[in-house]
Amino acid sequence: MRNGTVLLLLAALVLAGAACLTAPGTGSASAATVASTDSGAPSAIVMFPVSAKPNPKGSAMTPTVFNHLNHEKAIEKCETCHHTGDPVACGTCHTVEGKAEGKFVTLERAMHATDIHKRTDQNTPSSCVSCHAKQTRERQECAGCHAILTPRHDAAWCATCHNAKGSMTHQQLRAGIEGTLPLEENEAIAAKAEQAQKPNRLLTPMHGPYKVSIDALSEKYLPSNFTHRRHVSSLMERIRNDKLARAFHNSPAVLCSTCHHRSPLSAKPPKCGSCHTKEIDRMHPNRPNLKAAYHLQCMGCHKGMNVSRPKDTDCTTCHKARP
Amino acid sequence: MNRRKFLTFMGSAGVISALGTAKVAKAGVHTFPYYPDSYGVLHDTTRCIGCRRCEEACNIVNKLPKPKKPFTDTTVTGTKRRTSAYAWTVVNKYNVNGKDFFRKLQCFHCNDPACASACFAKCFQKQPDGSVTYDGSQCVGCRYCMIACPFYVPGFQYDEAFDPLVQKCTFCEPRLKEGKLPGCVEACPMDALTFGRRSDLLNVARARIAENPGKYVNYIYGEHDAGGTAWMVLAPAVSPASQEQDSKASEEKTANHEDEFKQLGLDRHLGTQPMGELTYGALGAVPMIVAFWPVLFGGAYAISKRREARYKAEKEAHIEATKNDLAAAVDAAVRKIEETQGPGAADTARRAMAEALKSREAASAAENGEDK
Amino acid sequence: MAEHGIVIPTREKLFNINEFFTPTPGNIISGIILAIGLVITIIRFTCGIGSVANLDDNQPWGLWIGFDLLCGVCLAAGGYFTTVACYIMGQKHFHSACRPAVLTAFLGYAFVVVALLYDLGHPLRLPFMFFFPGTTSVLFEVGLCVATYLTVLFIEFSIAPIEWLSCRFPWLIKWRKVLVMCTIPLTIFGVTLSTLHQSSLGSLYLIAPGKLHPLWYSPFIPMFFFVSSMVAGASMVIFEGMLAHKGVHHYMDKTHLREADEVSFAFARAASFILFAYFMLKLIDMLVQANLPYVFTGYGAWWLVEMFGFVLLPALLYAKGARDRSLTFCRLGAVNAVAGIVLNRFNVSMVAFNYTLPEAERYFPSIWEICISMFVVTMIITAYRFIVYHMPILYEHPNFRDGH
Repeated sequence: MRNGTVLLLLAALVLAGAACLTAPGTGSASAATVASTDSGAPSAIVMFPVSAKPNPKGSAMTPTVFNHLNHEKAIEKCETCHHTGDPVACGTCHTVEGKAEGKFVTLERAMHATDIHKRTDQNTPSSCVSCHAKQTRERQECAGCHAILTPRHDAAWCATCHNAKGSMTHQQLRAGIEGTLPLEENEAIAAKAEQAQKPNRLLTPMHGPYKVSIDALSEKYLPSNFTHRRHVSSLMERIRNDKLARAFHNSPAVLCSTCHHRSPLSAKPPKCGSCHTKEIDRMHPNRPNLKAAYHLQCMGCHKGMNVSRPKDTDCTTCHKARP
Repeated sequence: MNRRKFLTFMGSAGVISALGTAKVAKAGVHTFPYYPDSYGVLHDTTRCIGCRRCEEACNIVNKLPKPKKPFTDTTVTGTKRRTSAYAWTVVNKYNVNGKDFFRKLQCFHCNDPACASACFAKCFQKQPDGSVTYDGSQCVGCRYCMIACPFYVPGFQYDEAFDPLVQKCTFCEPRLKEGKLPGCVEACPMDALTFGRRSDLLNVARARIAENPGKYVNYIYGEHDAGGTAWMVLAPAVSPASQEQDSKASEEKTANHEDEFKQLGLDRHLGTQPMGELTYGALGAVPMIVAFWPVLFGGAYAISKRREARYKAEKEAHIEATKNDLAAAVDAAVRKIEETQGPGAADTARRAMAEALKSREAASAAENGEDK
Repeated sequence: MAEHGIVIPTREKLFNINEFFTPTPGNIISGIILAIGLVITIIRFTCGIGSVANLDDNQPWGLWIGFDLLCGVCLAAGGYFTTVACYIMGQKHFHSACRPAVLTAFLGYAFVVVALLYDLGHPLRLPFMFFFPGTTSVLFEVGLCVATYLTVLFIEFSIAPIEWLSCRFPWLIKWRKVLVMCTIPLTIFGVTLSTLHQSSLGSLYLIAPGKLHPLWYSPFIPMFFFVSSMVAGASMVIFEGMLAHKGVHHYMDKTHLREADEVSFAFARAASFILFAYFMLKLIDMLVQANLPYVFTGYGAWWLVEMFGFVLLPALLYAKGARDRSLTFCRLGAVNAVAGIVLNRFNVSMVAFNYTLPEAERYFPSIWEICISMFVVTMIITAYRFIVYHMPILYEHPNFRDGH
């Protein structure tokens, strides 16, 4: 009966997905261009690596398109980001080199720092990365995976935000870095970039098996029947409309990689036992043995999502005792 | 030259220290460098679920008596238990900033163990494989090891009348020799216990801390504590601020924020030197006292003796002088009598005076004699 | 000799044990305690330590170590203190105090070993420490010194039984001569050993900085133990003299009685100085270790009680007693100082030990442990009485008057 509901749900999901795919980009693009913010701030702007001494050759970190509207909706107070209480652009105080107004906190730190000391006398600032990390840790729908993994900070990860180079001319980039680009021009570039952005396509639960019988170890207990599809679809359903998740889950099999980790992303990942041996591997003491690997993944995710059932020490819920 | 030999040597030093200078030089600094290839276990408390499988395995492997409550009863982890002679490892539940965590207690197998340093019959031995073993056949039962252990680990068989011994985790030393894992490590379903060379485990621990920002307290308990231990512990980082938004309360909690280890029942203030070294200063004073005290008190004796002798000599000289004076006075008196009253009277007077003096002397001698 | 009716055993009547069989309250109480003690002893050695003691894994050393060992050894310090004062420092008028002090020290140490047998899991293996010497252990040093010092005390003391038995076994007399010649080296050896093990009893706790409260834990704890043992030695001579005057006054000869008060005053003066010094040392140690904040806690209050009520107060009482030549004050001081020493040892070994543990896991001695400790004390008193009744301790033997 339960599976029936899931199937129905899945069907709806697939339909919705299909609908999205047939009309790519329409929904999000129109939102970016048309909708304006309540605060009167620009809906989207390009953030340049503002610098007092720009590189004469003109090279710089790829600018970022910042969707102010989406962030404004997701956050309660402007002070979360505009931590001084004054709604000015970040680059006013935080430049690539850092300057006195920004207490010499560089732009890089202001955007990426995760080790921000808690202020007692004033508003504690957040960086982009620290706030996103906080979301992934604290929101139940994220915390399952993000409790047991930390995203690899590779080029693809950086490119999620630093993606605005293609949509502007060299002169515009240079002006932006110098801080002389007019706001209207900036907004226009941002809107164009937002429009050009394509939604990420993910594998669907249907790509995976319906059930997996985990029987590699069944000695004391019977094999565990893992409802693979139900787990995946339940996870995906929760983050279907989440903009943060949609922005950062940027490759088709990325959601699989929480469990099927450390191997190249693929729809057909290797078995757990390929790496995790039954007895601990002496050459790799940090690699859990197979039993522990299962337990750590399952319980880590359940704990992260505050799934109270089953209890950690209640063995027979997942695998029945061998008669 | 291993550490115990080295220290035995130091103990009997003072007299023959010159003999061993070469050996001491080979041993390097006086602190014992731990066996570089020794094994250890990393206990990751973020993984432990309090299932007590390790307790059960320990009980079976070491043939310990069955406890009253079965190992399947996980509620006992809620009561504060410690290791004892019949339970060499226990898992307790600890509340860390509002969240429940479990920690396994057992012997930490120190690099330079306090128990071994404290034992006066050499029952404890740090083995090259990392374990601290105990040989009960020469145990006197003084329990100083239990006083010395900073982790409250060894237990004593108080109920045993004729062969009570100190008991503690052996690191499953016999199993290690067979190439097997310690019972508890093998039984752990979560790999909360990672077995390996201690040097590797330190890297593992650091990697875990680095790869999971915000998950662990950036501290490996046992890396340096009490001189370093073979068993080490990672603690979860639980920020108290996320529990409570109230600024004052969170401020108070930030004050003891770094106390996650304390909340796990681990003392981070043991210092980085082996506990035994705390006594070496006092023990080092022994040869000095042995050497200097006899000289000091012998000298004092000589001084008092000499003073006494001089006093006696002075006194005798004084008495002699008085006697001479007296004799001269008597002589003068008698001569005077002889001049005035003739020799007969002088003889009578001399006799009378001599008798008087003698009787006085006798009287004073009697008095002194009793005084003596 | 007819003084006070001292009974000097003769060749025909070597024993004089009638005193034990007169039904005085003291004898009756001793008898009861000894009987109970014997029963508990049997239980202890047939059913294990746990059957009589409240000791547990957290508190492996309780009353038997805290009182019988720490206090026993410390209060037996009179032996080295008096002999050094008399023989080494040339204070000949303390001579009559030497034998009682040596006797008490010998009995004290002997019964420390007896009490230790109760506490050890394997009492018969005590000599193992010589076969497998754990030279890194403070306890090894304590054991070695106590064993050696006990032997020294036995030799020093054995002159008395030789004098007693010589009327029946005259060949002992030449041994006596040898022993008398050894007095000075033995005394020096004794004070060396005493310095070592009195301080080492404190060093035992150096290894447990996390368990002993900071107000009592100090890197200088060996020195505190040694300095306070000097006080204990002086105080015990006065204290014990006071008791002896009550109980066995009729065994003291004229010389002893004449010198006793002088000894008290001199020792009171010495103890007063040492106590003041000890007080200052403890105070400075507390300040140097930055323990001032602890003084304002519950344990701090208790520490202040110890410091003012049981260190400074006896120092003042002694000072007054010595200056005004008031025996009452000296004796009050002695009682106070002895109580202070016992309190200090209790604090180190029990009250301030394991101070971090919750109340429920703390130790309090069982009634049977207390009984065993009382049993040991009663045995000491009984042995003391036996020896005093038979041997020339408080009087000079008429046959050996010129012995010194």
